[in-house]
Amino acid sequence: MAEPVLTTRGLTKRYGGTVAADHIDMTIEKGQIYGLVGRNGAGKTTIIRMITAQSAPSEGELALFGAHTPRDLARMRSRTGAMVETPSFYPYLTARQNLEYYRIQRGIPGKRAVDEALEAAGLTNTGRKVFKNFSLGMKQRLGLALALMNHPDFLLLDEPINGLDPEGIVEFRNLLLDLNRERQTTILISSHILSELANLATCYGFIDHGVMLEQISAPRLEEKCRACLELHVDDASRAALALERQLGSMDYEVLNDTVIRLYSHLEEPAEVTRTLVEAGVGLATIESRGANLEDYFLTLIGGAHHA
Amino acid sequence: MRNYLSAECFKTFHRKYFYAALGVCLVLEAVLLWGYWLTLNWGNPTVNFSYAATTVSFLLSVGLYATLITGDVVFSDQYKNDTLKNEVSYGLPRARIYLGKLGVSILVALIAAVVMLAFYVVGCWFLFPHDAQDAQGWSLMGYCLAGALPLWLAAQAVVIACYFLVGSATVAAFLAVGILGVIPSVLQAFGLLFHPVFEMLRQFTPSVMLDSLRNMAFDGGYLGLCWLVGLLWFAAATALGLFFFQRKEIR
Repeated sequence: MAEPVLTTRGLTKRYGGTVAADHIDMTIEKGQIYGLVGRNGAGKTTIIRMITAQSAPSEGELALFGAHTPRDLARMRSRTGAMVETPSFYPYLTARQNLEYYRIQRGIPGKRAVDEALEAAGLTNTGRKVFKNFSLGMKQRLGLALALMNHPDFLLLDEPINGLDPEGIVEFRNLLLDLNRERQTTILISSHILSELANLATCYGFIDHGVMLEQISAPRLEEKCRACLELHVDDASRAALALERQLGSMDYEVLNDTVIRLYSHLEEPAEVTRTLVEAGVGLATIESRGANLEDYFLTLIGGAHHA
Repeated sequence: MRNYLSAECFKTFHRKYFYAALGVCLVLEAVLLWGYWLTLNWGNPTVNFSYAATTVSFLLSVGLYATLITGDVVFSDQYKNDTLKNEVSYGLPRARIYLGKLGVSILVALIAAVVMLAFYVVGCWFLFPHDAQDAQGWSLMGYCLAGALPLWLAAQAVVIACYFLVGSATVAAFLAVGILGVIPSVLQAFGLLFHPVFEMLRQFTPSVMLDSLRNMAFDGGYLGLCWLVGLLWFAAATALGLFFFQRKEIR
């Protein structure tokens, strides 16, 4: 098993009577890109704020790189880079001055670190322009530059692509993928732009109303979302036999005694029906299924009307 | 801590705010000097170096409230700009953040005080005639400044605590003025209405002690009391500010 970078056990945050995060158990292993999926107000930012010490948990515990005492956690946080909600900097300083301030504060050696971070985030030509005059996209890039400046082992990014133009989104995605591949940087990324997460994440956590609904790996999710014909029959083993012998298909999955998912012959439901009927299998329903990340999430939280 | 202090200095001295505020204060001092110089030229014989330098003892309360500006210069609207999250998320201990900003605000206040005093005293030295009372003028100024220093430090600690604990810088400034300026008046009223103990407590507030300094000139005991009271206020304000900041949600 890979080294766990983040582990939370029963992590809970209450604001008065409201439970913003409810007994969250999460494990993120080294090298993973963990997509935290949820609607606005679902609790994604609350979880990230607890991990980054902006907010103290009401209950539960968390460990970063195996450390869980307050002192060790503080030490381990210097191995992280975070961008939580909107990037925030001193409005009267330039991009370079803002980064230089944090470089000195964090004891990062060499002024080159600032140039490298600006270059990585694609923000080299801002000159004497101060932060308050930046566009939203430029602010996002500066936030990313700060998160990257200390070459973190663990990146926490909360809605990082808000405000980026299409070209910026592609650059940003490639940058994260490069960091993950070349430096084994572990990434926790929350977003409601699910199509973008689908291009990045190696595993997902679905959260709603502060509750972690499901954690699933990308391959497993892909498998679950794969297009298929779902067959509700009276005897799944006899149906499977008929599919193999009559249709010559081995690409199916028996879910239980009465449900089979067939991943071939998607365009031929009539043929499948005929084959099963001829084999004496009682067919209750045949349904075409398949979903993308968005559909899966909406189904999970209880239907599109919630979104 | 050294890195933190260096970064705070970098930020503070790369901002025009400090220089602008100091510039305004120097202009006001120049106006004061010009006023005295005009009086001297109109034939007022009492205006000399000693007379002008003694004015410092009447302006000690200005230093008390100037801590609002030096605190603001360093604290830099942290809550409005949401910049504290960049510091805590990196694992910087909150005690370091608090004490670092307090330390740099004291440094900024001391630099401003030295520049302003130097400007005023040098102005007095060159503009006004000297006589045998010069030494007494120097002594009074030295005594008042020695007594004022711990009380100004106390005020700076109160101001920084308010900036850390209150989300709005404006409300924090009002709260600090309330603690430093209004509480003595409230204690005075309570002393008259309820019990003399309130009047006694009032005597140990920084603003009242600053006002009393020139009348207690050259009293070593009172000077020691100023240091004791100033350091107690400083410690209490810092301990309270730090205690609540440790538990504060950062957005």
